Amino acid sequence: MIPFTQYLRGLASDDDLVTLDDPDDVPVDVVAAEALRASGPAIRYERVDGVDLASGTFSGPDQMQRRDSHPWSRLALGLGLDPDAPFVTLLDTITALGPADGVEPTYAGQAASRTVDGVQELQLPRGTDDVWPSLTLGVVSVATADGSHWAPIYGSVISDDTLGVYTPAAVSSLLDDGGTLSIALGVPPAAITTAYLLTVTGRIEHPVQDCGVADNVPLVPTNGGLVPSATELVIETTVEDRHPDFQSDRQEAWEHVVASTPLALSIERVIATDDPVLPVSPVGRPLADDVQLTGLAAAATLYHRVNDYWGISPVEWVLLPAETELGICFVATDVLYAGFEWQLANILFTFSSLFDTVVIVDEDVSPRDLGRVLGDIWVKAHPSRDWIFSESAAPAAKRPRYRQDGETGARLYVNAAWDPRWEDSYIAPRVAFEQSFPGPVRDAARQAWNGRHDTERDGERDET
Amino acid sequence: MTGPSFREFLQSLDDAAALVSFSDDRSWDLEVSAITTLANRSDGEVPVFESVGETAIDASLVGDPYRGPRCRPWDHLAQAFGLASGLSGPAYYERIVDRLRSPREPRIVDRDAAPCKDVVDTGADVDLLSIPWPYLHQGDGGRYSNLHTVVAPDPETQWGHWSTHRMMIHDDALASLLLLAGEQAPNLYYYDYEPRAEPMPVAVVLGAEPAVQCSTEMWIPTGRSEAAFAGGLKDGPVDLVACETNDLYVPATAELVLEGRVLPGERLDEGPFGDYFGYMNGPRRSMPVFAVDAITRRTEPRVPFCVEGTGVGYGQNSSSTLQTAAAGPDATLGLRAAGFDVTMAVPWRFTSRTVWVIATDRPYPGYLHELANFVFTTWGMLHIDFFVFVDADTDPLDPRAVLTAIALEADPDADFHQFGVERMPKVPLNIYQTPDEKGSADVGTSKAKTAKAYIDATSESPAEDGPDDESLRKRAQQHLVDAGVSPVPFAHLEERTGESR
Repeated sequence: MIPFTQYLRGLASDDDLVTLDDPDDVPVDVVAAEALRASGPAIRYERVDGVDLASGTFSGPDQMQRRDSHPWSRLALGLGLDPDAPFVTLLDTITALGPADGVEPTYAGQAASRTVDGVQELQLPRGTDDVWPSLTLGVVSVATADGSHWAPIYGSVISDDTLGVYTPAAVSSLLDDGGTLSIALGVPPAAITTAYLLTVTGRIEHPVQDCGVADNVPLVPTNGGLVPSATELVIETTVEDRHPDFQSDRQEAWEHVVASTPLALSIERVIATDDPVLPVSPVGRPLADDVQLTGLAAAATLYHRVNDYWGISPVEWVLLPAETELGICFVATDVLYAGFEWQLANILFTFSSLFDTVVIVDEDVSPRDLGRVLGDIWVKAHPSRDWIFSESAAPAAKRPRYRQDGETGARLYVNAAWDPRWEDSYIAPRVAFEQSFPGPVRDAARQAWNGRHDTERDGERDET
Repeated sequence: MTGPSFREFLQSLDDAAALVSFSDDRSWDLEVSAITTLANRSDGEVPVFESVGETAIDASLVGDPYRGPRCRPWDHLAQAFGLASGLSGPAYYERIVDRLRSPREPRIVDRDAAPCKDVVDTGADVDLLSIPWPYLHQGDGGRYSNLHTVVAPDPETQWGHWSTHRMMIHDDALASLLLLAGEQAPNLYYYDYEPRAEPMPVAVVLGAEPAVQCSTEMWIPTGRSEAAFAGGLKDGPVDLVACETNDLYVPATAELVLEGRVLPGERLDEGPFGDYFGYMNGPRRSMPVFAVDAITRRTEPRVPFCVEGTGVGYGQNSSSTLQTAAAGPDATLGLRAAGFDVTMAVPWRFTSRTVWVIATDRPYPGYLHELANFVFTTWGMLHIDFFVFVDADTDPLDPRAVLTAIALEADPDADFHQFGVERMPKVPLNIYQTPDEKGSADVGTSKAKTAKAYIDATSESPAEDGPDDESLRKRAQQHLVDAGVSPVPFAHLEERTGESR
């Protein structure tokens, strides 16, 4: 288990986190959004007044250029993997955080042992157009007779006594009037990933004590429910109003998967570590942390569902890129037989209501090479035969902005994989370093290219 | 101003540490293209191979000299045209559009003042194989020249028509040219010269100045001269010199010129070749024969080549850069001139000749259909299969923004429009048709037709992306840079919209 602060240290030691001194003339969400747009590092905000913050910790660079790291590299580190671990290893790891058999939870003392006088003392960030300070990337914990239940939560600090929050409707249904719930901010990456996973799979009712996360994230009881013992800040609350009169202009990305509900919460107690640092997401902006978390949790879920479905595992990977705001699903697969691509696309539509468009690519395409995918969909797929539209009777997906009026319409899948009926001689070989040059030429080229400055350096040494 | 020659352009790259020279012997047989592929893949320096084995003349090879930096592919060309470095994409497009609005007629110079006449070989002295033509990809049909300007007659302009057609070398005097009907020079050959059994005079120019290479990539309407648009680009006349063996004119500062004729009624094998799709395409076909009558050149010519096929996906090469930096601004101007209210027309970064993105207003119902119809029947006919239309305030050079627009705004039910299923011509270079469908049509296009489509990814209401004002964003970027974040990606940080130097 990697606590959030240790995770930040790991990012910093990988040169993937930069510290900013209190940029008090620009809202944190604007700085965070700029860093993400530039595919920059995670940012830690050291603040004189208020708690330290960190943005971009669950996001990463975009996939619009070839880069050394990937949108999920940071989260991989946070889940105890090598940042360069195979993408599907990350998907497997995320899935393993969910419901599992034989889990033996561990418990530890509360790291947040200092009582904070008031939540406003934390000086949580206020967005550009926000009336109140906001909290994002929270994990809500609710206790029932079955155990503790986790889900994402975000909202606003209305006063020292009151929070206005949004959480999955399923959480609300677990609560009695006046029920208690705890909000954990700055939890281990495994914990927030679990909250997103349980939400996108519709399994919030499944207690965390019976989830894989409890095997490696020590827990501690609070008035609301179990939270990770290594949480930076815990806000214990009771439900004040289940039908409060406020509305958020923005949505965290999980709300495109499940219904949310607003709650007015009465703050009972706030406890924190000595120097807490809290994650923030520039909600509503491109590549935001909540989008990446939702996309990875959804991809892990779909990957396992489709590979469990036919008794074999033809699918190499599933990706819902943040660059599409989760509105397109990309899948790499072995096309088992003619028509399998139709079957696969439509089972994905069955398993997720996020998207209306599925893109299918060959199994040898790497999930790290979205650039190739974004070329192949136009080059390998025939403009009429391989862009396949359903009849106009499907409900609109939840993520796109069109057809929000309940009208039915068509779905689309693009088949950018080779047709299994084609003769081998029809298959055009790729132009690529590995394919276009024989081994000895590649070796000579690498040697020449990697040593291209050796002579100059030798010359410089000679001169000195 | 007078823009740089190709040689001066290379020097400017060298001055900017964007060029690396290999002085030891390198082979034209895959090795130079393998090294160039690594350069292209790693956003590295442009490689110059000063010594090429088995070469009769003292020639260098230059691998993908026009490939620009990954973040701003137009940057090197902008500097060649005297524009500020670091221009944002939209600012660069506007500067180039402005230049193209003011074409400059070329200037004729004497052969003594033309560096491309340093050495003149004609008749029996012509030896095409004395040039170190590279063998670019394993599986290619032969050695190729593919980064050049083909000068062909043009009945409507004095300076001829400039375009590009890959050329496969056959022997010391013959090559085959990929001429695809539907394009101007091939049409002239197939439907004018060849029916009259008359050879078509042609010159193939290598290492022309950047403005020439850029205008070669443009679709210039008939009756207008690429030479004049090249002059507009560089804000000064292009120097032309008369050919030795025909009536054509060629750029005087070029490194190497092949003069000759495309013979009527004769064909030689051409292909397969790893072309711009990023895949090897075949099958081997019969294409018109280029018979070389003269070779004129500088004494130590620098011969550019493009490792075609490496400019797709994340890759960049000369071809993809020229599409973005030259064809895009030209198309933007062309569409505006045709009355369309477009902000920018830009090739899709990941496959630049198959898909274009157009940022545009929609002033009236049916406008997008009219716009698509115009481009599919003119410059977009053979190569382009798709257009994606986005809002006028979406930057089509930002593929993330375009992808988001497609995902969130393009309704599969209403916004994907096909232009007559399989009614349209297609180049046989594609990989989605079977060999049978491609056939071996005499004039180059595939036997089978294809479909064309456009995607309406414009929004009904303003997008949520980018609610922050510019000054806030700029301050945020400054904070990040002050903290050590690289300034390279920040288009807002500096005045990247500055005027020309």
